Amino acid sequence: MIKDTELDKNFKNEFAEEHGGENIKRCFTCGTCSVVCPVFDQEESFDPRKIIRMIVLGMREEVLKSEMIWLCSGCYSCYELCPRDVKITNVFSAARNLAVKEGHTPPAMRTSVDFLNKQGRLLEVSDFENTVREKNEIPTLDLTVPRVKEILKKAGIQEAMDGGGSE
Amino acid sequence: MVNIEINGAMYEAEPDQTVLEVAKKNSIIIPTLCHLDTLPEYGGCRLCMVERMGDGWSQVTTACTLPVKEGMKVQTDSEKVRKSRKMTIELLLARCPDEEVLQNLAEEYGVGELRFKKNDDNCILCGLCVRMCQRMGIQAIDFQGRGMEKELGTPYMEKSDVCITCGACAYICPTTRFTQTKVERVSGNKPIPVMSEFEHGMGTRNAIYIPFPQAVPKIPVIDKNICIYYQTGECKTCEEVCEAGAIKYDQEEEVLDVDIGSIVIAAGTDVFDPARSPGYGYEQYKNVITSLEFERMLSASGPTGGHIMRPYDHKDPKKIAFIQCVGSRDCNTNPYCSSVCCTYAVKESIIAQEHSPGLEAHIYAMDIRTFGKGFEEYKERAVNEYGVKIFKNSRVPYVEELEDGSLVIKRVEEGKLVEEEYDMVILSVGLEPSKDFKELAAKLGVDLNDYGFCRTSTFNPLSTSKPGIFVSGVSSSPKDIPETVAQSSGAAAMASYSISDQRNTMVRDKDYPPELDVYGMRPRIGVFVCHCGTNISGTVDVKAVAEYARSLPDVAYATDNVYTCSQDTQELIKDLIEEHNLNRIVIASCSPRTHEPLFQDTIREAGLNKYLFEMANIRDQCSWVHQKEPEKATQKSMDLVKMNVAKARLLEPLDQPTIDITKELVVIGGGLSGMTAALGSASNGIKTHLIEKGSELGGNLKDIHYLLGSDKEPQEALKEIIAQVEKESLIEVHMNNTVKEVNGFVGNFETTLADDTLISNGAIIVATGAKEYKPKEYMYGQDEKVVTQKELEASIAGGKVPEGTVVMIQCVGSRNDENPQCSRICCTTAVKNALKIKELNPEAQIYVLNKDIRTYSFNEDYYREAAEKGVVFIRYDDEKNPEVTNDGGLTVRVDDPILGETLELKPDTLVLSAATIPPESNGVLAPILKVPQSKDGFFLEAHVKMRPVDFATEGIYLCGLAQWPKFIDESISQANGAVARAMTVLSKDKMKAVGVISQVDETTCSGCALCMEQCPYNAIEMLDLVLTANEIDALTDRRVSVAHVRPALCKGCGSCAAVCPSGAIEQKGYMNEQIYAMIYGMVKEDRDESKLKQKEATSG
Repeated sequence: MIKDTELDKNFKNEFAEEHGGENIKRCFTCGTCSVVCPVFDQEESFDPRKIIRMIVLGMREEVLKSEMIWLCSGCYSCYELCPRDVKITNVFSAARNLAVKEGHTPPAMRTSVDFLNKQGRLLEVSDFENTVREKNEIPTLDLTVPRVKEILKKAGIQEAMDGGGSE
Repeated sequence: MVNIEINGAMYEAEPDQTVLEVAKKNSIIIPTLCHLDTLPEYGGCRLCMVERMGDGWSQVTTACTLPVKEGMKVQTDSEKVRKSRKMTIELLLARCPDEEVLQNLAEEYGVGELRFKKNDDNCILCGLCVRMCQRMGIQAIDFQGRGMEKELGTPYMEKSDVCITCGACAYICPTTRFTQTKVERVSGNKPIPVMSEFEHGMGTRNAIYIPFPQAVPKIPVIDKNICIYYQTGECKTCEEVCEAGAIKYDQEEEVLDVDIGSIVIAAGTDVFDPARSPGYGYEQYKNVITSLEFERMLSASGPTGGHIMRPYDHKDPKKIAFIQCVGSRDCNTNPYCSSVCCTYAVKESIIAQEHSPGLEAHIYAMDIRTFGKGFEEYKERAVNEYGVKIFKNSRVPYVEELEDGSLVIKRVEEGKLVEEEYDMVILSVGLEPSKDFKELAAKLGVDLNDYGFCRTSTFNPLSTSKPGIFVSGVSSSPKDIPETVAQSSGAAAMASYSISDQRNTMVRDKDYPPELDVYGMRPRIGVFVCHCGTNISGTVDVKAVAEYARSLPDVAYATDNVYTCSQDTQELIKDLIEEHNLNRIVIASCSPRTHEPLFQDTIREAGLNKYLFEMANIRDQCSWVHQKEPEKATQKSMDLVKMNVAKARLLEPLDQPTIDITKELVVIGGGLSGMTAALGSASNGIKTHLIEKGSELGGNLKDIHYLLGSDKEPQEALKEIIAQVEKESLIEVHMNNTVKEVNGFVGNFETTLADDTLISNGAIIVATGAKEYKPKEYMYGQDEKVVTQKELEASIAGGKVPEGTVVMIQCVGSRNDENPQCSRICCTTAVKNALKIKELNPEAQIYVLNKDIRTYSFNEDYYREAAEKGVVFIRYDDEKNPEVTNDGGLTVRVDDPILGETLELKPDTLVLSAATIPPESNGVLAPILKVPQSKDGFFLEAHVKMRPVDFATEGIYLCGLAQWPKFIDESISQANGAVARAMTVLSKDKMKAVGVISQVDETTCSGCALCMEQCPYNAIEMLDLVLTANEIDALTDRRVSVAHVRPALCKGCGSCAAVCPSGAIEQKGYMNEQIYAMIYGMVKEDRDESKLKQKEATSG
């Protein structure tokens, strides 16, 4: 049972203020996004329409704390086909931004940022890869890309993640 | 003229004719393969052999090359001829043993086992194609070689430089040997058939063609792009065969200057091209078709003859899916709702099942919008009786094709993705303005709205931005047939107001030929049995019925027609009446209620009195009600035809007296519709009585305080309209008054009001309105927080804006067991009030609990706007209404299907979108006017689609909420439509009365006057008559009182004949002997023969 007395009725308006969340209230739950979503096709817990519905109803905590908002692969299929132009892919960016702002950064996200800070890539490049590359006459790569760390710093990613008090 | 003798009979012939031509003209059958009227004779097939008889000699020769000569004697079927033909057929068959046409001939002429070596030649060398090619002005092919070596081909058997791949050769080949591949071999190009636009490319058409069966005028057009004449200057076959000489190749587009006073735009629409939404795979996946293509497939006269088949492999589909909102309600294409697609998808799924029982039909939709009159009940029937499944909240953005051409559609069900396979997918394509509409609008100088439709306004729904130019139908917004028909009448009325003083100045009367005097003629009855597409022939064996009719006495001609009501069949009937000297016509088809006038007019055009006509309703009474018993339905059809033929033998021509028309109109109901109608008729110079039961004009409009997208405030508009009504000298308002009694008939009503005012009027418009349902549900009346939409609007208008949480519940008192219908306007009203609340108090939380949101047409924009403003729409299931309780404050519980959880709301205001229902007073007025109500209590129009503002009773019309819930603009359109319909009566000075009136036999009338009391039209009066002694067996003169029928007033209802105790009254057209003849015809075939003899003796 969802009780309206327990809902954050202003959440949808707040969400609409967030970059990417502008058209959230337009949704008329037609189901286009869920049907075209390649993630939902594989993972039942990720139903984009349901998440939008939860935002519109004001289920703030349930949305921002959930792992679901981090599952969007950003393929833009729903964005393209949405008949009410809800810009759903952007909705998930907005949801993530809000989640991070409120300190609900998922651990995997932290690990990724750590990787980026450390080596400038999500995947590690070792001497082994470079040996193989050399053998195949492909230019070798630097083991780290320090510039990425700088970018992350300038963008304030670490602060953003820590700002709201991490879990 | 020369005279020749064929088979012993003498025939006249033109001197330049051949024997074959004379024989054909006189229906003497001579088989041919290589003859075509328009091509030179060649004598190639040798089948048309005839025996020319001389004095002591005879010669067998081809009829096609034998010119007539005075006194020539010819036998077409002698022993010698048959023998010769048999041999020819045997030889031809040896060349091409597989040819069906030759096999049939062989069977006819008794050719047994072939004595010759069977070849498999690809030609019978008849030369028809060679001559055809010549006629086309091309000469690409000819014969070459001699004797055994003779063959058909191009010069040196090379690819032809001159062939234009027109395909005339293949078209004309009497066998199937000239294939498309052969055509390709001649030119090196693949022949491409010309696809019919009307059949959406599922059928072909010729270069000269009638664009579609209902075309007006029904005249063929020539497609200059493919007509051979326009390529080579030759052919001209159509010109040669057209006896009317109607073919004019040099016809050019003409620019005509016409002086006109008003213009009506009724330019129609295009459907959305689904190729613009690539996900549906239209034109890519073969078994994805549009709803319009499917409609053609369902049509008995369509490209598949009504057979549903997959375009991919022509297999019968077992399961089909409709995808709704293709090109509608989509920001990427057209954001508005196309209004008609939900209902047509429901209709097509029902018809599809009738064509192919057991077919499973699924409809994928967001909301299902069956909001028209009776549509919701129809949809429920589709679901409950036909098992049509409707998936809501299930928009389909794309389909996938499997290898066998089947298609996969996905939907979410209980939080899970479900895939379902379909044999065929139908795209319910939306409506949009036609491509060249913008150009037309620019030419006319009228404004279009954002979506390219004509811009109109709430209180001027039929006017464009330019005075004098009006608009109707889909040119102003997507709409269904009834609205379009009502609007078109309305636009006609609007167009007439400013030019009404010109009325009748350019009218030409239709010329009919003089009536044939049939007295004393032996009846020669023509019987026409209709297939009605497959409506009748799907159940009844119509050919057998026609065959049976031929065996009935006095039937001179009987046949069957695919559509007896089509224009070409009307022409055919006229021709056959002349050809066979028919003097009575029986048509076995549909309901006389809809089609009798048409057929009567047709026979009148052929010179027969229109009452020499009988109609057997074998559709409603046979094929429809006995759908499951085809044999019995056929038997019953034969019986009905037999009865009608029996009656037709005794039919007599009847006269129709003319009567004066009282040019005044009574409008019942002083609401918006009534006032609009009154103003309209007054603009036409008609004195109008407006009758209002209350003490104020305005009706429901009094309770409307604000509108969506109107340039005028409703109360201001109302004031203006009332002022106009009061100012108009031709309108007399009867306030606090009702109609007590109505006598008379179309053109001459006598209306008595409650205060005994007596009005003489020629027509009546019913505009009695409707009211909001007082809810019994959801604690209405028990908790002051619970109000209706109307009450909410009044309180907002009074300055009281709801605070906190507002919950609206839709479909209160509608779409339930008690009232299964949709009230059409409540969804938009809820959106309107929600937007108003949001405007005045943006903090308010508004939830709209609905079964579907039916904001059709451009109202979809406001639905979207309401959502944007934060109004939350929650669907509840048809089977599970929201729960409203008062445990610790007003509480609403509703199951949200998206989350699959129950939502508990604590509203500060609970608004009920109550149904619009008819007033109880309809039940009082209906019997006074003798007009029907539907079972829900609204008035029932003559035909829900085609005659939405007419009652079946002539001279009485309806408009506004009296007919069905509707918006202001729709009411205004309809009110003007009713005026246009009333003007069809009131604009004339005189009208023709009916012919089937009663007549009194004064010698047997006892003067009891029972008939006078019974007559609803006041058509019978009692006359004093002096009967002289020798008139009856009396010794002295006698004064008697006898009934007399006033012919102009009698409507032919027959009540008087039924009550007459002495049997002195009979109704013309339904005379006792005619009725008896029907009964005898039914039970005993020969009995009426003696009756007829009697009749002939008396009528002399």
